[in-house]
Amino acid sequence: MRIDKFAIGLGKAVAVSAILIWSLFPIAFIIMSAFKPGQDIFAVPPKFVFTPTWQHYAKLWADWGMFFDGLFNSAFITIGATILAITTSTSAGYAYSRYSSRFLNASVLFLIIVRLIPPIVVTLPLFPIINAIGLNDTHIVLIALYATFFVSLGTVLMRTFIDQIPRELDEAAQIDGATRLTTLRTIIVPLAAPGILAVAVFVVVFAWNEFLFAFIFTATNAKTAPLVISEMIGSIDGVDWGVLFAASTIQLIPVLLFVVLMNRYLVAGLTAGATKG
Amino acid sequence: MRSNTKIIAPAMPFLAPVHILILSIIVFPSLYVVWLSLNSSTFGQSPTFVGFDNYFRTLTDPAFLRALGNTVLIVVFAVHLELAIGLGIALLFASGLPLRRFLLVAVLAPYAVSEVIAVAMWRFLFDPDVGPITIALASLGLPVLDWSFEPSHALVMIGLLTIWLHLPFTFIILYAARLAIPKELYEAARIDGASPYAAFRRVTMPLLGPAIVVALLFRYIFAFRIFSEVWLMTQGGPARSTEVVAVYLYQEAFRFNAFGTAAATAWIMVVASLILATGYVFLLRRQVVGNAH
Repeated sequence: MRIDKFAIGLGKAVAVSAILIWSLFPIAFIIMSAFKPGQDIFAVPPKFVFTPTWQHYAKLWADWGMFFDGLFNSAFITIGATILAITTSTSAGYAYSRYSSRFLNASVLFLIIVRLIPPIVVTLPLFPIINAIGLNDTHIVLIALYATFFVSLGTVLMRTFIDQIPRELDEAAQIDGATRLTTLRTIIVPLAAPGILAVAVFVVVFAWNEFLFAFIFTATNAKTAPLVISEMIGSIDGVDWGVLFAASTIQLIPVLLFVVLMNRYLVAGLTAGATKG
Repeated sequence: MRSNTKIIAPAMPFLAPVHILILSIIVFPSLYVVWLSLNSSTFGQSPTFVGFDNYFRTLTDPAFLRALGNTVLIVVFAVHLELAIGLGIALLFASGLPLRRFLLVAVLAPYAVSEVIAVAMWRFLFDPDVGPITIALASLGLPVLDWSFEPSHALVMIGLLTIWLHLPFTFIILYAARLAIPKELYEAARIDGASPYAAFRRVTMPLLGPAIVVALLFRYIFAFRIFSEVWLMTQGGPARSTEVVAVYLYQEAFRFNAFGTAAATAWIMVVASLILATGYVFLLRRQVVGNAH
């Protein structure tokens, strides 16, 4: 019996170590390598003790100035898309939660079906249209695209969260003479904050990391950080791994910290998103 | 009908922004793709109606069939392996672990990583000359992944990368469902003398069934549109041998300017996703009805 328990404990320890290595080793490897001097990056077995250096960051700054423009563009687009997505989905989620009719229920099903359309499908007609109206390579295009591909999930999530807020609160506010918009702003939004944060996690991670739309709809002016990193990977004169890891670390750290801090909302959003549509 | 309209009229201003975005950016463009797919067109030429010709040409194009085969291979290999690993981790977590919150965050971490960076790390780790994993495998006398020349090896790499990126999603769905199973059921099973394996077969599996189906369908649908991982890893090469459907679409549209076949490919993707999803909606309905009882 005691041996059994020991064996189970050992088995679990091995499994947990394997999971940690699988999930964290690649991330840790990139971040560490970004601080390793020159040849240490290629040492086998990998070096875990080394003298940290900023040399790759200095080189990144000197050779890839556009990476920092890309970071600025990514930040601007991420903030814009997040604000657009959470305002529109909160207001729609509120309406779906407080009103009901056959037409509205059918339109929720429509929102769910829209999620099934692969993003690459819309690039085909949008590319010539966006060129024709002169919006190619602008931030606004990516902001609209990123927000739109999350408002259907965002609306359904917000409806689920707002459903849990008692209707009596809105009714009391309305008796006091508040308009529906005021009710939404002053009563619903503060109480639905966890839902709003869950939607924000999805949009922030998606917009900060997205590749396909940025690849098709930007050239220089609105180029995002992932796109600049992809150019480093595809560089013809061979990849400068140190610089690539430095750029990757800068792009990765903020979103990684964000996901770690917001993990509760991410879990709540993923679970509700999968079971509620 | 009129009273109905009156009731929901005040809701319209709140709903309008979401629906304007979705209609103008997703729905109308997708419908325009239907029209494109029924016409023959390229730059600087007025389109002519050709019926289902583009679908016929796409479905008989060896490059498309290869791309479709690769996509199905990645979906079947990656999604099922991912499900098995995710289920294993979910059950391990549910069996009781110290530092559970920390471990949960560790498993979630890859969710934060962009496809671009994931490809960068994979390309380095498996680099044929300097990659630490390649060197480690070679020094143990094991076969290495020759992914830049050998298409099947490249597909294995892409499959592993996809699993790495999406395991957090599958894991969370299954773990949440496992936590929702009441403890009393396991106690009852134990009192009835059921072995841990019998409890797993008779309690865990049936009750996790719906969550497994949900996770599977979501992952089928999302894995089917895989683009970035493949494009950044191999660009579909060498010689179009590792293309997937989305990469084929991109090449047709933006490299060969063949909008007709690209549009037909796009709708083949939409229809495939809809077919997969019909099953999903059907199951959701049944679940909702089941919950109501």
